[in-house]
Amino acid sequence: MKTKHIVQSILVVLLVGFLCIGPAIAADYPEKPITLIIPLGAGGSHDLNARVFTSVIPTYLGQPMVIKLMPGAGGQTGTAAAVRAKADGYTLIFTHNFIDQLQPVVEQLPYDTTKELTSVWRLNYGPPCFYGLADRPYKTLQEMLDYGKKNPGKLRFGTTGKWGAGFTPGAVVLTRAGVEAAFIPYQGGGPALQATLAGDVDFTVGFPAQGLPHLKTGKLRFYAVGAEKRLEEAPDVPTLPELGYPVGSLLMSRIILAPRGTPPERINILREAFKKLYQDKTFLSLMKNLGENIEFMDGPDYEKVRAEQKEEYTSLVKKITG
Amino acid sequence: MWDSFLQGIMLSFGWQTIAMMALGVLLGILVGALPGFTTVMAMAILLPISFFLSPVVGIPFLIALTKGGIYGGSIPAILISIPGTGASVATTFDGPALTKKGQARKAMEMALFASFVGDMSSSVLTMLFIGPIALVALKIGPPELTALVLLSLIVISATCTGSLVKGLIMGVIGLLLSMIGQDPLGYMSRFTFNIFAIKAGIPMLPMLIGVFAIPEILTAVEKEAVSYISDKVDLSKVGERLKFKEFRRSFKTIMRSTGIGAAIGACPGVGQVVAAFVGYAAAVNASKHPETFGKGELEGVAAAEAANNAVNGPTLVPLLTLGIPGDNITAILLGAFIAQGLRPGPQLFAEQGPLMYAILMSMVIANVLFLFIGYLTIPLFARIVTIKKSVLLPLIAVFAFAGSYVYRSDPFDLIVLVIFGAFGYVCKKLHFDVTAMVMAFILWPILEYSFGQTLSLAQGNFFHYVAFDRPVAGLVFLITPVVSAFFWRKAMRKRHKPKT
Repeated sequence: MKTKHIVQSILVVLLVGFLCIGPAIAADYPEKPITLIIPLGAGGSHDLNARVFTSVIPTYLGQPMVIKLMPGAGGQTGTAAAVRAKADGYTLIFTHNFIDQLQPVVEQLPYDTTKELTSVWRLNYGPPCFYGLADRPYKTLQEMLDYGKKNPGKLRFGTTGKWGAGFTPGAVVLTRAGVEAAFIPYQGGGPALQATLAGDVDFTVGFPAQGLPHLKTGKLRFYAVGAEKRLEEAPDVPTLPELGYPVGSLLMSRIILAPRGTPPERINILREAFKKLYQDKTFLSLMKNLGENIEFMDGPDYEKVRAEQKEEYTSLVKKITG
Repeated sequence: MWDSFLQGIMLSFGWQTIAMMALGVLLGILVGALPGFTTVMAMAILLPISFFLSPVVGIPFLIALTKGGIYGGSIPAILISIPGTGASVATTFDGPALTKKGQARKAMEMALFASFVGDMSSSVLTMLFIGPIALVALKIGPPELTALVLLSLIVISATCTGSLVKGLIMGVIGLLLSMIGQDPLGYMSRFTFNIFAIKAGIPMLPMLIGVFAIPEILTAVEKEAVSYISDKVDLSKVGERLKFKEFRRSFKTIMRSTGIGAAIGACPGVGQVVAAFVGYAAAVNASKHPETFGKGELEGVAAAEAANNAVNGPTLVPLLTLGIPGDNITAILLGAFIAQGLRPGPQLFAEQGPLMYAILMSMVIANVLFLFIGYLTIPLFARIVTIKKSVLLPLIAVFAFAGSYVYRSDPFDLIVLVIFGAFGYVCKKLHFDVTAMVMAFILWPILEYSFGQTLSLAQGNFFHYVAFDRPVAGLVFLITPVVSAFFWRKAMRKRHKPKT
């Protein structure tokens, strides 16, 4: 009788204890700085976007986010580190959909991003723009593709990073139009833009930030914007969907992922903090200066997008590589 | 233009600008001096500070940081034979040897003055000729790059000392090592044997620290630490300063390296590493006593440091005129600009003339500050070598390991460090010079990448393309055999000359 009593009281204490610990874990998180892995190099658009939001988010999170750049093997080094990290909410990865969902389709990887990482937040997206020198005889995307069709192998496409944001949209459009173009690889958007300005390549696919100043001077011509909406700064440039090319999986979504198994209440705390960013004046003005949109997406919604991407990329790669 | 130039100068002399720049230089030197911490890392971490400062304060702060950082990297290279970046590898040819002779302070002062002259002249040149440099930079594409790097390789290897066969063997090893990982054009994995850790290639920093620092430590331990700094060296002399006579003697070398560095800086994609190597090689070649190089020659330090710093000015040109960053440092600067709502590019000079001149002017001011602050911190650093050897050597080992780890926080890098440390030690014992390996390792990827691009641009017709579409590259290709022949004859003559 007595022993039963003792066992009962122990159980009660334990139960009460657990009830307390549950919320306590949530309330205590984050109690130390959070590491944000970026699987890309310094000075790129991910680095810049991250510098902006990590300089504001401590206000809402109570702890800083520390950026850890881990470039290498086209994003695989950093992604592998994020997959290996403890799922305690103290390691996150700031990556994009081409590394997250396209890379597994074209490469053998020692990890499965879909199974091992889960979406926290989509910060925004980068619209891939098609641009080339304004002195070329073709004036629209269609005319350029027609030229390419008539002269197989003559149209030079300056690409960046195989199967990345500066490669895939161009490859998709060229394949759909049945154009045989010369793919000239460059290490990053800067060199590709320079090659375009120098006339070494006929067009490239890059983000608006770098191309727009040259559109204003009339040196470059924008053929298309890979987005649902036209750019505010270049309202005359048609979007890819207007020209008959669906853009869904061609956008570069900048996303924050966490190792799967991270406690949901911790992920919620992160999501709340991210949501509050979009009312913060400093954050908004800095993003505006960077020329980035603020089309965010909550984790659960983006998780659905990821599933769609996986399917689309699989069929896309099949189509392109034949 | 004159108006905005004057306004710009006024802007750049604000006390806040100067104070933040002084802070930037100091931070840069400290960060650069810590092995493993790179200037790029420091800039990336401190970038957000500039978001909340006015552009005439924030951007000069970052510029000052780079100037301090690049010089700072030469401090561990000279004192403890740990090159923090590829750019300071050439400084380890003579720096540590000078330290062992008890001339650490002298070597550091030479590095400081050479860096100052190199950076200052190239900054002023950049300000004066920003337009023409921009035109040249735009015209340099993959074919020109291929030709230039190939020529540089020949110049560098022609002036290498030691056995030709051994040098070639090491060069081939470096070349093979650089091919591990993904190929730069098609991103196919090669020589990785399905080991994921090396899919991104051999990490450069742990390898550099491994082959340069670990053998130094091991040989010192082997001799029971007696000779890391020879006991015969009077340690009170470590503080010996650079004499004006010595600086004057090296002045020609500094100017030559500055010219080389500035020219290389104007070609996007080549960078400080090549500049330092070529500057050094040219100094050896021009010297009347090439045999003293590599054994503690002040001119050697001057040649490398002036060349790698002279790159800084012209690399800013594509950034400012086209909005195109040439390397990581300028990419982060671009971030600082656009976060301020300033979009570097063709219109910026027209729209924001005074501000742009203020920023260009701040490069000059940063240099002056860097000269002063650097000079004041030298005695502090020079004292490091007076630490008791039994304490200093373990400390160096700690820095070597910490420096390798901190760069990417990847434990694999420690394995790389140990393997290359052992390899470097064996090479040292067998009198194989690891420098050839390191040079091949750094230069080969640039060459492979630009040559591959050239081939795709030429669409299968390389000779026609280079000869007719790319006359500049063609010309450099034509010069290359002539230059090689010149070096070969020179080497032959030296070999036949009876030793006196």
